[in-house]
Amino acid sequence: MSYLLTTLTTKQEVDSIIRSTIDKVLVLRFGRASDSVCLLLDDVLAKSARDVSKFATVALVDIDSDDVQVYVKYFDITLIPSTIFFFNAHHMKMDSGTADHSKWVGAFRAKQDFVDVVEAIFRGAMKGKLIVSCPLPPERIPKYQLYYKDV
Amino acid sequence: MEEKRSQTHSSNPNPKSNTRMKQGRNKKKHEFEYCTVCKLNHDQGPSHKYVRRHTKSLSTFLSRFQSKLSDVLFFLKNPTPLRLEHASRTRLWCVFCDADIDERDSSFACGNAINHLASAEHLKNLKHFLWKYGGGMDCVDKFRILEADFTKWEKKCKSLKSEAVSGGPMPGPSNDIHNKLEYGIIDTFENNSSSSFSNGVMPLLYHTNEYQVSHSGLPQVANVGRFPQDVTTSSSINSKGLTVSSQRSLTSNGRKGSLDDHFNSESMSEVYQQGRMTKGQSSSQGFQNLAQISSKDSKESSGNVHTGALPPWFAADEEIQLSIPLQPVSGTLVSMSNKLGKSKKLNPKRVGAAWAERRKREMEMEQRGEIVKSDYDANWLPNFGGVWQSGCRKETRKEFELEKDTVVKVESQSEMPVKIQPYVSKRMH
Repeated sequence: MSYLLTTLTTKQEVDSIIRSTIDKVLVLRFGRASDSVCLLLDDVLAKSARDVSKFATVALVDIDSDDVQVYVKYFDITLIPSTIFFFNAHHMKMDSGTADHSKWVGAFRAKQDFVDVVEAIFRGAMKGKLIVSCPLPPERIPKYQLYYKDV
Repeated sequence: MEEKRSQTHSSNPNPKSNTRMKQGRNKKKHEFEYCTVCKLNHDQGPSHKYVRRHTKSLSTFLSRFQSKLSDVLFFLKNPTPLRLEHASRTRLWCVFCDADIDERDSSFACGNAINHLASAEHLKNLKHFLWKYGGGMDCVDKFRILEADFTKWEKKCKSLKSEAVSGGPMPGPSNDIHNKLEYGIIDTFENNSSSSFSNGVMPLLYHTNEYQVSHSGLPQVANVGRFPQDVTTSSSINSKGLTVSSQRSLTSNGRKGSLDDHFNSESMSEVYQQGRMTKGQSSSQGFQNLAQISSKDSKESSGNVHTGALPPWFAADEEIQLSIPLQPVSGTLVSMSNKLGKSKKLNPKRVGAAWAERRKREMEMEQRGEIVKSDYDANWLPNFGGVWQSGCRKETRKEFELEKDTVVKVESQSEMPVKIQPYVSKRMH
């Protein structure tokens, strides 16, 4: 599915897309195209990218590329796929009742789930909020466990 | 369209055809003509192209067309055979010639477009357009394909064709995405050492593509039928493999619908039960089988293929590589400049409002070709709030940079004194 969306492989590309997306939500999916859950997520993203194109831009980042390792570390990505949201180069958090508010881990169940999440983030950001609460019911949010190494 | 343009041209020099009243009032009045760049009728005559609004919309007009050409240029560099089902989908509207170029009868991707862009007719129209609407003759080469590049492309195409003839059907190295993905999946499932499982999972994955399902349905149905038996009979399969397969059927609930014709519901429920039993407590509904990755150290990259140094061929044509991610840039800019009025209505307290305004100005200046000094460099990092972040978000970045520095230092320190020596027992002495 990944060939339907822009795939970024270098830090410079990621920088430029973050810096050039203005007054729109930027959705960055960190993952690898061959992973099965990534395939599900990419399918949802590719199908809904057009629907949300007025207020969001969707791009994929290949975590296997050595050039983006600095971002993989900076965003603390340990599970794939991880989806990170930006607005005007500011990171947007979402409280979805999971361990990590800074990113969405796992796939979305349906197109509408993704659209809802992006819309909630966009509305929150336009009101000046850096964190929004997840509009989805808890059974539609993928669960995962984080293990902390140096805490 | 072409006729209309030439008509208006011929009538331009002699404004006598205008009504007398107009002539009397203003001698400089020209006849109305349509500017395709500004999409409006005006009576300013040839001086229209110097109007500020026109130059602005001309630059967005040209940049939009250039972003469309970037695809064509990509296929010019590496020609790929065009599949029949894609042929009708790709088409290019040449704004200079007012012609629609479709790829129905070409055997290579963007073949007709490349032919058109290299043609003399296109060059003539392009020059006419630039003369009429301004924009400078120096950018002629941006919107056409040079003879040398064209002959290179033709040569490559010929060699590809001869390969195709000798090497059987469909050599397409990178074109065959479905097969590539398939291999990747099989690779990941090989770890579970149960080939029957990968067979069982396949049909769900195929579902992202209706074409595949409709054409290759039958053999898979046979596999699916066998699938529950495999589960029940073979008790030696590790529980990990089992969770994988059952999760797949859970998470892809939405797509399962059309597969139901093949599955009988009894066997499905059997699979579910099997999955539940072995999975035990982890069978909460939202759970997905997520792959864990180990972080690589980017510091090691010094000059090897395996360590991921910049390959020499990237360094040569970096501009072409850059043009792909820059595509959304022009898109956002176009939309920005089109509805400038809208930005005034945006909430001034929205996230990053000050940054957005500053960046917008910077990008406009960059587009005009001026050099902007900004705080951006290769080590730039966006604002990010970590999981344990407290206080200002800048602290996340500072902490990260600090950590990176210490890691580098520790590495450089620890690497120096360590020497590997054979173990010598101390008791011997």
